[in-house]
Amino acid sequence: MTAPAQTDTPNAAPAAPTPRGLAPPRLRGEWPLLGHLQELRRRPIELFERVRRECGEIGEMNFAGNRVVLLSGEEAQEAFFRGTDEQLDQAAAYPFMTPIFGRGVLFDATPEQRKQGLRNQSLRDSFMRGHAEVIARETQRMMDSLGDRGELDLLDFFSELTLYTSSACLVGKEFREELTPEYFRVFYELEKGTDAIAYVNPYLPLPAFRTRDRARRRLVELLSAVFERRASAPKEKRELFDVLLSLKLPDGSPRFSVDQVTGMFISMMFAGHHTTSGTAAWTLIELLRQPEFGARVVGELDALYADGREVSYQALREIPELEGAIKEALRLHPPLILLMRKVVYDFHYKGWTVPAGKLVAVSPALSNRMPECFREPDRYDPDRYKEGREEDARLFAWIPFGAGRHRCVGAAFAMMQLKAIFSALLRGYAFELAQPPATYRNDHSKMVVQLAKPCVARYRRR
Amino acid sequence: MRVRVDTDLCQGHAVCKEEAPAVFAVDDRTNKVVVLAERPDESLRAEVRRAVKYCPTRAIRLEEA
Repeated sequence: MTAPAQTDTPNAAPAAPTPRGLAPPRLRGEWPLLGHLQELRRRPIELFERVRRECGEIGEMNFAGNRVVLLSGEEAQEAFFRGTDEQLDQAAAYPFMTPIFGRGVLFDATPEQRKQGLRNQSLRDSFMRGHAEVIARETQRMMDSLGDRGELDLLDFFSELTLYTSSACLVGKEFREELTPEYFRVFYELEKGTDAIAYVNPYLPLPAFRTRDRARRRLVELLSAVFERRASAPKEKRELFDVLLSLKLPDGSPRFSVDQVTGMFISMMFAGHHTTSGTAAWTLIELLRQPEFGARVVGELDALYADGREVSYQALREIPELEGAIKEALRLHPPLILLMRKVVYDFHYKGWTVPAGKLVAVSPALSNRMPECFREPDRYDPDRYKEGREEDARLFAWIPFGAGRHRCVGAAFAMMQLKAIFSALLRGYAFELAQPPATYRNDHSKMVVQLAKPCVARYRRR
Repeated sequence: MRVRVDTDLCQGHAVCKEEAPAVFAVDDRTNKVVVLAERPDESLRAEVRRAVKYCPTRAIRLEEA
């Protein structure tokens, strides 16, 4: 086996310091105290584009005193993604998440604590078949409530569906049955609580933060009742959280509190919930905006399933037109627009040095539309993933899931899930946009990107 | 043919192990791929190609050498 020769790279050895290089250029237009924070909160993607245009592949932004160095372009992004945990730490890079997850759950735990934490075996390949069955069943349940025709809110519909699928697959089927629509509304409020003003202080007395904290308290309340009911469940029905709550420290006190387990639930859901839900919505919107691709996908699904095969079988196999449509929705509308790490010891790139203490970042929204890597980058073109072009093979440029060691571990699960959802949905119903096509857009005022309301589509049974 | 893996990219999804168990394993301690046969037998070519193709992180390459 050949491992990359890491000792030759300038970022490998903190014991033998590399001489300091130049400081990265600073982006102009800083406001006193806030720096570029207001630009980040209003037009984040334009801000990242401005860094690339005015500073080049490396440029420093200022979020209320937090210095964030944006790396862009395939080469600089590769340096970022190949950074080790010891040098580039995810902890502390996302201060707006700590009040949501709660203390001691994810990003404020030390790397050691996290290494001992749960390694999610449920995402391994051997579990995918069972997950596919669950997702097909959950999609069918949502469809059963739709009736022959009507209108649906894309954000609400896919949020509710993916809450059920994610919890059933990652936590357990018993637990999923405890969930009601109130849960996805609570999650919506948590997600709305990711205002970048958290870079000033994540506990400021602002409406968005108060709503966030109320939503989290409500979730602890809801889950406490669930776990109390489940405490008497027979052993063979016990699932992940029941087991965690039954663990005891040597002195007999509980290892985890309901508050901590709530935090684990939030963190497990956060990675796969708004991301998959938003991607499902955008896939549908783009297919309806470009009806020729919509017709190709529906035709492909009709042909594949003509023999009566199961969704859970096909979702694990190739569905090229649909996969291209999903990948293109991901490229144009990545659910995470800024990936960040805290620099633990000096980070060197070409002649520049980012000193310890600052943040480095890469923007999927910026990268996925770089004209150097993608032909007609703003055009929705699912054919760019076909054999011969395969534009997603540029691992450090096509980065809706990130790249490198922290690439989204749920990427394969998410693709399978989206294939299962659309296999059922597009064969059961025909959809059309209920608003002018250009009115569907993302709300970028929070760090967690959400589809902006209204976002309505019409449907009728096929 | 020669199998190359980029362990910076590997996340231990174990798809390669499912596709080509004679060539790949996953180390439970590191959660990273282990190549059992760097130059696998020609008869395994189809399996290895599937492992390359379906690796969720595209961490495997096949070289003709």
